[in-house]
Amino acid sequence: MALAGIQIYKLLPQTNCKECGFPTCLAFAMKLAAKQVELDACPYVTEDSKKQLAESAMPPIRLVTLKGKAGEARAGNEVVLFRHEKKFFNRPGIFIRVADTAADEEIAVTVGAASSYAVDYVGMKLGLDGFAVEAASGDKARLAAVVGAVRAATGLPLILVGRDPEVLAAGLEKLPGEAPLLMGADGSNWEAVADLALKHGAALGLSGASLEELAEMAVKAQEKGVEDLVLHPAAEGLGASLALNTQIRRLALKNFRPLGYPTISFTSGGGPAGRDAVAAAQAVCKYAGFVVLDRFAPELVYPLLVLRENIYTDPQKPIQVQPAIYEINNPGPAAPVLVTTNFSITYFSVANEVEGAGLPAWLVVTDAEGMSVLTAWAAGKFDAASIAKAVKGFGVAAKVDQKLIVIPGHTAVLSGELEEELPDWTIRVGPREAVDLPRYMKEVLV
Amino acid sequence: MSEGREIPVAVYAAQFDSLAEPVAVDAGELIVDAARRGGVQIQQPCGGQGRCGRCAVRVESGRVRRRSLLRLSPTDLAAGYALACQTVVEGDIAIVVPPPERIERRLTTDHVAPEVAVPEGYDAGRSQSVRRVVLRLVPPSMDDQRDDWARLETTLRRAAGVERLQASLEQVRGLGAVLRASGWEVAVTFDTGREQDDAARLIRVQGAAEAAGRPLCGLAVDIGTTTVTAWLADLATGRVLQQAAEYNQQISRGEDVISRIIYAGKGAGGAELRDLVLDTINGLVAAACGQAGVDPDDVVKATVSGNSTMMHLLLGIPPESIRREPFVTAMNHLPLLRAGEVGIAMHSDGVVDPLPGVASYVGADITAGALAAGLHAAPQTTLFIDVGTNGETVLGSAEWLVACACSAGPAFEGAGIEHGMRADRGAIEEVWIDGRTYEPTCRVIGRARARGICGSGLISLVAEMFLTGILDKAGRIDATLGTPRVRTGPHGAEYVVAWAGETESGEDVVITTVDIDNLVRAKAAIYAGFTVLADATGVSLDSVDRILIGGSFGKYINVEKAIEIGLFPDKPWDRFDYLGNTSVRGAYLALLDREARAEIARIASAMTYIELSADNSFYEAFTSALFLPHTDLSRFPSVAAATTNGG
Amino acid sequence: MPVEIPKDSWPGAVNTVTLGATGDQGGSRTSTVTIGGERSLPFMHFESPMPHRPAIAMEIAPARPADWSAVLLEAWGATADDPGSWARACEEAGADLILLQFGLKGSGDEPVSADFAVAAVKAVLGSTGLPLVVVGPGQAEVDNSILVPIADATKGERLVLGLCEEGNYRTLVAAAMANDHLVLGKTPMDVNLAKQLNILMSDMGLGRDRVVMDPTTAALGYGIEYGYSVMERLRLAALQGDGMTQFPILVTPGAEAWKAKESKVGEGTPAEWGEWRQRGMNWEALTAVSLVEAGAHVVVLRHPESLRRVRAAIDELMASETA
Repeated sequence: MALAGIQIYKLLPQTNCKECGFPTCLAFAMKLAAKQVELDACPYVTEDSKKQLAESAMPPIRLVTLKGKAGEARAGNEVVLFRHEKKFFNRPGIFIRVADTAADEEIAVTVGAASSYAVDYVGMKLGLDGFAVEAASGDKARLAAVVGAVRAATGLPLILVGRDPEVLAAGLEKLPGEAPLLMGADGSNWEAVADLALKHGAALGLSGASLEELAEMAVKAQEKGVEDLVLHPAAEGLGASLALNTQIRRLALKNFRPLGYPTISFTSGGGPAGRDAVAAAQAVCKYAGFVVLDRFAPELVYPLLVLRENIYTDPQKPIQVQPAIYEINNPGPAAPVLVTTNFSITYFSVANEVEGAGLPAWLVVTDAEGMSVLTAWAAGKFDAASIAKAVKGFGVAAKVDQKLIVIPGHTAVLSGELEEELPDWTIRVGPREAVDLPRYMKEVLV
Repeated sequence: MSEGREIPVAVYAAQFDSLAEPVAVDAGELIVDAARRGGVQIQQPCGGQGRCGRCAVRVESGRVRRRSLLRLSPTDLAAGYALACQTVVEGDIAIVVPPPERIERRLTTDHVAPEVAVPEGYDAGRSQSVRRVVLRLVPPSMDDQRDDWARLETTLRRAAGVERLQASLEQVRGLGAVLRASGWEVAVTFDTGREQDDAARLIRVQGAAEAAGRPLCGLAVDIGTTTVTAWLADLATGRVLQQAAEYNQQISRGEDVISRIIYAGKGAGGAELRDLVLDTINGLVAAACGQAGVDPDDVVKATVSGNSTMMHLLLGIPPESIRREPFVTAMNHLPLLRAGEVGIAMHSDGVVDPLPGVASYVGADITAGALAAGLHAAPQTTLFIDVGTNGETVLGSAEWLVACACSAGPAFEGAGIEHGMRADRGAIEEVWIDGRTYEPTCRVIGRARARGICGSGLISLVAEMFLTGILDKAGRIDATLGTPRVRTGPHGAEYVVAWAGETESGEDVVITTVDIDNLVRAKAAIYAGFTVLADATGVSLDSVDRILIGGSFGKYINVEKAIEIGLFPDKPWDRFDYLGNTSVRGAYLALLDREARAEIARIASAMTYIELSADNSFYEAFTSALFLPHTDLSRFPSVAAATTNGG
Repeated sequence: MPVEIPKDSWPGAVNTVTLGATGDQGGSRTSTVTIGGERSLPFMHFESPMPHRPAIAMEIAPARPADWSAVLLEAWGATADDPGSWARACEEAGADLILLQFGLKGSGDEPVSADFAVAAVKAVLGSTGLPLVVVGPGQAEVDNSILVPIADATKGERLVLGLCEEGNYRTLVAAAMANDHLVLGKTPMDVNLAKQLNILMSDMGLGRDRVVMDPTTAALGYGIEYGYSVMERLRLAALQGDGMTQFPILVTPGAEAWKAKESKVGEGTPAEWGEWRQRGMNWEALTAVSLVEAGAHVVVLRHPESLRRVRAAIDELMASETA
């Protein structure tokens, strides 16, 4: 179990020597509790304390890293069941399945398109994480050829799917120095696949329909020396899959070591239209470490990548809205320009009051790192320069006839400087509270 | 009931102590009804709801049934006390109605700040860094041509063991004249510094005759963002001669530290703010000295406490870096300074000791406060809440201390409130409201005509408005109650606390929706501050043994009311102690005792500052506290009980 | 190897709320929808069976909406010209209930009036037997001006009336209590604000079986994670026994998703976004299913194909008894 700051403090020297770079031992202890610093920074900690702290710091879900020729896919190290409790750390890798029974050309097209796929989402480049090559033919040479072809087209990490260790071994031959995932071990063949994984330094995927089966295989694989395991709870239907994945995550977080591994989810391309998207979305939200899609299509992949980005956003960061100019009640060129910060609650309260009153306005939201008006102003993140930058950057002048800008009442002191920054504009000081905006706009701003 | 048939009713006699004849009482009647009929005045500020306990009477004999025991201790019951509005007469009885003042004093849940006492066993010779010794110098002669300074220094070394003495050029310039005019018999005042081996600083050399009988005084100053407080003390006896407090004149340039920092950064803003706070301090020094009959030149030492921004502004240090990431001060542990260079109107060579702070938002006011509160020596986990503009909180014990700050605004000091004022003569400091008529009963400091409402009055008023349903849990005034006390003013709905005829100004004293919002925000910030601090350190508030309250509420704070609005955690009242202005108390202790001063420095080094803006948790805690008493009512079981029973 | 399945047992439960009233119950609906009642996290049947499945409401407008995506208008065709026929089409498509969303405009360019609104509500009630949610444009005064007459004119129907916000809760709660309706409380994406409104409404004496809350959600890509976590937190608090968070949740993934550029428009978008129609449907369905798994009891959708997809997902989620 993770320790709280005070508990850790009691294991530290309590001399406040400052050599760790923090003003007091307690400050250091709290950083340790938040996992924002390493214990090594303390030169005086005793061996006994080190041992106790190391135990509490051990992640309940093992970090498994798949390595390709270029690039990695990491899963595990999660510490919570709900993202708001802390955050979800390692985004599940999204892989595209390629069967070796498909025609060479089809494989080339899919791998080419999927490996080069990159989409822009709020300034970030999102893409796929690798391919799952399935030994559907059962032919060693065929699998080796397809793995070779995929590897020639992309350096992304691979998952090899197949039940026959000899066939898998042929695929592995093509991936020297890599750490792929071997997927296909179940109750009947796991031992041979585990030997293969050990020999090659690959991660071992275990399939089972029940927790008992998975836990038993995992313990035996551990005993054999395989450390990097990935669990595949094989379940029919979204409900069963949700239950199994939730149970595995819960048990792992309770330090039940046999299930302390990331999971993998395969979505079948069959079924009614859109079913695979929904299943993959559930896997992204509910605890999968790897998600394998049956097909590549941008209209499927794009929303999944966005969902993954959203769910894995750090919820401890203040809730922000995009800095931009927002239109409220279809403003025309005569509508006033209001300014506020990009803290979501601030934005919502201003937008809701004005929208609720039916008054048209342009709302300029500045980048204040998600702070409220007063906090941002206090920290120097909402000042004349940043407001002017936003007004200019969003091309506000082109949208209005009268250059009139209303700043929040709490920051009345900014008006002078803002006049200097925006000489063509008239600066007006609005009310302190959003709730007074409608009256201000109706009675004062006319 | 059928016509013509009377149910026989037992009729009892109630003898009130102030009446010659007993009053006839029907069975089941309340004591208050009997009293009313007999013309006996019994106060009922809460409107007979059994909430306030102000109608307590003593039943000397006879049978009564108490419906409610609220506010009655076992001792009260043994003495026969009963609430007149909740007690049914069940026999012939004899009643004593005590004078209202006595009941008020007996029942109060107010926590009274302790009187200032000289620390036990104070011995100036042992603790005080300032000393004055009378020296008889051997006059120079042709046989002894030592310079004046060496003559003084050697004599002082022999007389007082002072190894090194520092003086300014100005002091050297004046030395010869004083020595000669005094006939080589002088009183030398000097400060021995903070540490054992510090060089002593010469403060003053005067003729021994001139010095005889004159006191040696010191100042303890707390520079609050809103209020500045100064205590004048006699350094020989340790006694506080005079206390004075006034709003910080810097308020006109911004209500909070951030506004002041920004103002200081513009042109001559910093110099102006420095002048304003010096004007405030010097006004207090002049007033205190004047009232105590002390010559300001006899004030030779001052300890100054205040938040980091106030300290920077006083000393003319640019405070800009305090508000900008990563939030650092120029200097937390400041050196000893000369009064003349600081600008305090005492002896210009007197010593000014600025007390040490911890971080940008946890300053000397908190380290001094922690000392005054005894946190550094507390055996058990203790929570110290400084209810002021910057809402600092300290949690800990002798083992460890953590602190945080959050901007609460000046509402608790009566500033930024339509009819707010400091806890001074004429301030409404407590309010009861009759839940049926919505009529208030106020207690005014000095029993004067009301001038305004101070911080404790605001807390009391908002608590009462909430409990009587004038406010909903969101703090909105219900405009449909049909009382003239609730009306629409320039800032929306408002409640009239005192009509023009009852006030000093001849104008109504009101509380507005904006005032209530300000107070709710202020209390939410403070509540969020200490709850997040506890969470961050992994300490449960249930494990906190004592809760110490500091603040400029004047003499009292009513803990019950403060819990009702959700300012303080819902804990038994006896776990709270109100300490008054702990910052100035800490400064006073440091003024008297070098060891106390060293303790403050140790506290400053050991205290861990927690930055609340680091994640969402403060905001979460703040929004959940923006409700009366709190969004999570289960945190306030006593208030939940009061609102369901009483409402 | 034996593994003990970790079952949480919770002290609290979500309130059970029935939307709509049949002829016997004082209304005119042919079916009602009951939601809530769970004693576990969504679809954790191994802990405690979910007594009622999440419901799907289809959103309609009193007149053909000008600002809806072409994909949507194309799917509904001429039925969208009239609220009665539109509601019937929704019923035929498999909706559990209807949500009638008013804007600021009534007929033509006129501001929305009480008469116009009451007529539209009556048209919908007359053409379908499904329960109905009626939502005003979200401006306190306008909402009150149409919702109070609607409440009066439909007494006993157990409509859900919204939006009830901190500014107008007294009026709306009173109208709902007087006419045997339900209230939809809306707060901006914050657990505390949601709870505070619930407390204020409950303090007026509104029954626990008469409140549905909308804690506000955003679409995929536009802040879905905030609403998602607020819902998870509300549900956890409800199960932990916090009475003021135990109201069932209604959210509007349809409106949010089809406001997003990804769904709304098909021209001038990057090639990496893929085919427009499928993308739009995925956008709506993924937003909706994620929210259902976070604890939504009613999801309000716009496209009939999304309705089919989300219904299929709910079927699968409800079906499992495997542990």
